[in-house]
Parts: sequence; C-alpha cells; structure tokens
Amino acid sequence: MKRRAAEIIREYGPFPDAPKVNGVTFDGERIWFAAGASLRAIDPESGKLTGVIDVAAHAGTAFDGTHIYQIAENRIHKIDPKSGALLASIPAPGNGGDSGMAWAEGSLWVGEYRSRRIHQINPDTGALIRSISSDRFVTGVTWAEGDLWHGTWEGEESDLRRIDPETGEVLEKLDMPAGTGVSGLESDGSERLYCGGGDSGKVRVVRRSRATP
Amino acid sequence: MDSLITAAAQALAKGNPLGALKRIALREDAPALALRGIAMAQLGDLGKAKLLLRRAAKAFRPHEVVSRARCVVAEAEIALVSRDLTWPEDALKDARDILDTHNDRLNAAHARHLAVRRLLLIGKLDEAERDLRELDPEPLPPASRAAYELAVAGIAMRRIHIQAARAAFMRAHAAALAAGIPALRAEVERAQRELDAPAARLIARSEQTLVKLDEVETLLASKAIVVDACRLVLRNSETVVSLSRRPVLFMLARTLAEAWPEDASREDLLARAFRAKHADEAHRARLRVEMGRLRASLTAVAKVVATKRGFVFKPPQGREIVVMVPPFEDENAAVLACLADGEAWSSSALAVALGASERTIQRALDGLAAAGKVQSCGKGRARQWTSPPVSGFTTSLLLPGPLPGV
Repeated sequence: MKRRAAEIIREYGPFPDAPKVNGVTFDGERIWFAAGASLRAIDPESGKLTGVIDVAAHAGTAFDGTHIYQIAENRIHKIDPKSGALLASIPAPGNGGDSGMAWAEGSLWVGEYRSRRIHQINPDTGALIRSISSDRFVTGVTWAEGDLWHGTWEGEESDLRRIDPETGEVLEKLDMPAGTGVSGLESDGSERLYCGGGDSGKVRVVRRSRATP
Repeated sequence: MDSLITAAAQALAKGNPLGALKRIALREDAPALALRGIAMAQLGDLGKAKLLLRRAAKAFRPHEVVSRARCVVAEAEIALVSRDLTWPEDALKDARDILDTHNDRLNAAHARHLAVRRLLLIGKLDEAERDLRELDPEPLPPASRAAYELAVAGIAMRRIHIQAARAAFMRAHAAALAAGIPALRAEVERAQRELDAPAARLIARSEQTLVKLDEVETLLASKAIVVDACRLVLRNSETVVSLSRRPVLFMLARTLAEAWPEDASREDLLARAFRAKHADEAHRARLRVEMGRLRASLTAVAKVVATKRGFVFKPPQGREIVVMVPPFEDENAAVLACLADGEAWSSSALAVALGASERTIQRALDGLAAAGKVQSCGKGRARQWTSPPVSGFTTSLLLPGPLPGV
C-alpha cells in the first residue's frame, strides 16, 4: 500500500448561508455541494458561487452526465440541474445512515457511514447489487480513472483511500492534515479530488497521484 | 456524518425537536442517541435526555473525542436547567478545551456560556463577567447569540445597570427573532418584562411606593441614604455599610429610618428588634448597648441621637433617608427569589446558590412548605422544590450576589 500526506492545493468557502458541506460532485464545469437546505454550484476557476437549487441536501451528491443525484434523509433524489426539478426518488441503501455517493458505469455507489460499507445500487430502482466493506467510517465515494476512492472520517482523523473494488483492500492512502474532515469526495476526471469539509463549510482540492500504468 | 443525522441536527438547530425525533427515533447508534437526548431535553424530559446522552457518550468510540465532548456539554446544559448546581465544572472545562483544540468554536462557546450561566445563578457576578469577556459573540449563530445577550443582560440587571440591561435585551430579542425559535423568543420577552415589573417598595417620610429597577438605579446614584432591606445594608452614593451579619442592628436602623424625620420610640425599637412586648429596665439597657454599636458602625453615614421618647436619625445636611424593602417580605425571601425562575430546584442546589448549609436551606423550605409557599415533588435525593411564580414582581434584588454598585 502506498501512503503519503494529502497535498491540499486549493480551498473554497466557507460560503454565506451554507455552514456545512455534506456532499460534493462535479458536472464538468461546476463543483456542486450539498449545503443542508440547498445545492450550491461553485466555479472552480474563480471560486465564486454561480448557482443554487433549493432542495434538501443532507449527504452525498453525484452526477451521471445529465442529472444530479442527492441524498436527503433516507432517499436519493434525481434532480435536473438546469431547472432544479425533482425527477425521481429511490430509497437510500443505508436507510438514512448514508454518507457519500458517486455515479459510475451505470450504478450508484453509496457510502454507509458508521457501518463502514459501500453499496453498489441500481440508480433507477435502488436495488442493491453488492456491498464492499471498509475498516473505517465511510464518507465520500468517487471513481477516478477507473479507480474507486473513498473518504474516511473517524475520531477526528480523515484520509482518502483507493481501494480494490472487488476485495475492499486498501491500495493507496492520502492522510488529511489533523482536524481536516472529509464529508464528500469527487474526482474532476483528472488530477484533482474535490473534498467536502463538513462543519468547516469548505470544499478542498487535493492532488491525486496518477495511477501507475 | 450521515444523512438522517444531518437532517435531524438541522431540525434541532431550528428548535424543532419533534422533527428531529421523527427521523432518528428508532436508531441506537451513538450520534442518534446524542441527538435524541438533545431533542428530549428541548421537549423538557430532562431525565430521559440525561440517560440518552450518557448512553451516547459511552457508544462513541474512545477516539471520537469531539463527539464525546459535545455529549458532556449537552449534559452540563441539562444539569444547569434542572438546577443541579453540584454538577462537576471540571468535566465541562475539559470538554471545552477539547472542543477548542479541535476548532469546534461554536460548541466551545456554548460550553463557556453554560459556565457563565452557572456562575450567574450562584451569584458570582465578577467571575461570570470575566468568563463572558472571553466569549466573542460575533461568530455565534442567532440562537447562541440570544443566549449570550441574555447572560449580558442578566449580569447588568443584577448590577442594576438598567440601560445596559435594556440594550442587551434588545440585542437578545433581535437574535431570537433571527433564530426563528418561538420558545427562545418567549424566554427573552419573559426576562425582559422583569425590567418593567416592581422590584422594591420604598418607604420615605412614611409614604410607600413601588418602584422598578431603573428607579432603584436612580435612587442608588442619588444623595439619599438608603436602608436596603434586600441586602441588609445602609448606603449612600459613596459608602456601603453592611449589617447582613447583624440583623438586630439592621432592624434598629430600619425602624429609625421608617420613622425619620421623626424619632422612633423605645417601645417600637424594642418590639421590632428584640420582639420585646414590654420595655423593662433590662431591655432598655440592652437597647442602649445596641444603639451604641449602631452609632459606631454608621459614623460614615448618619448620626443617631437620643430623644426623650427614644432615638432619631440625623443625616448630614441635605440627605434624605429612604428605606428599600423587597416587594414581598418573607424571612426566606432569598429562597423564594431563586425559585421565582420557575425551575425545580433541589435543596443542594439552593445551598450552593445561596452559600448556606443544606440544613439551613432545608429548614427554610420546611417553613415555606408549611406556609404553602413552596411545593416539592420526588423523594430523597431526587426531591425538588418549586414555587408558584410571584406574579408581577421581579426578584432581582433578592438574588444572591455581591452588592450592586459596589
């Protein structure tokens, strides 16, 4: 297992009226984050707020190329990011114990916080496909260039880890600085990982090591 | 944190405990137990709240120190609200330090604020004020800001700085409105009303009037000599003479002051200070001795002169003498003043607050209970005391604490 300190290259926020960051996703242009009572969009270049959708947003956020998926209480809502309209809703696999969420290869991947698991589910029905176990509380989940990453936050310690999606084995670990929690995780498709900062109200950018060929 | 915990916490922060419980009522994991505890506290079931918080603190893993510290702070708040003043302060201080070092400024501020409220309750105004200065209200969200301003107002009121109290109440009210929590707004308004309620009765030149705290403030700043039966002191704008440990001398001074500018008869003085029905030679001799003592302790304030009938106060030129008595008089007024906050107090909490022995407090409570002025519920160590609110009066002047204006 490779292990090193996470390199934080940028921070956004905290933003007014958004005391917490509960989830993060990226639609190719904007970073979206779940702020409790709304979803908010940031321009990654300027760091300015560029959009707000009034929708309950208590945990993970994901983007499938067209729609935003957002965990609210014990449901996952499918939202049109242009209109803010609620298109569909499925039960969340952790029944409200859910934390982070990612979309990849036609499935939703949902972290269940205290039970330390990641569930792969059908995004249309919510049906469980399989579960992967971790040995830490799971927060954010993302796929980056074919690798599964998840954030942990337990006992005031956080790291980002790349795991084997079949076995759950930890392949690589980036330790976050002390006191820096990870409440959501998203890849920008390249070098960057966007991390929700929980109660700090910040979104942080961490450099990801490129996968070795 | 997970989704339902976040949703429930959001509901709690908005003062909606039922909304929080709806989401987590059946969950037994540590964060859910903690939130259920806080929700039960908001609903007033303090016993259940305490148990849930204890279970939560145990269910968190040893290295989840911040979560455990938050449970300690919540439990301290319940102790404060249930007037359990024997609650260990050190645990709260430790929790505060953990929250400070982990940058949880909001909960650290809340821990400080609880310590201030406890000090205020037991009359340690100087310490409360010092701790309050450590708190920066700026980053506090509206609900905590309202609580902070209530503490500021409470201290100002106890020190009889009425303008400062009024200003703090206005800020508290604005913050409570911004928080959108009806119960908080009601609490601020109830506290604010104390400013406009009668706080004392004044007896001047045989005339009686009810006065509010701002009139008390004006009186204390004036040239008048005030014989203060709330605190058992005599004061003018420069000096305070405490007779709190010499009740006989105080009663003599009060009797003289009530008669002023006339003299008070020996019979009157003997009857009120010694409860003597007849003035025999032994009583007269004792009166002369006590008058000598009173004269000696009051040299800085007023003279006491013998007359044919008895004695008379001779204040310096241009000074009035005014007697200030509580709006209601009772031997155990201080106990009633504590209970006037409407909370249920244990006798040990009253002992801590009033700096008296539990035995003394127990005797006072028994007396008050026999007179129908207080009620108790529970048995043994769980026994708590309440009194029907003394409607329309403020009891600020009767609460424990240092002398205002000194």
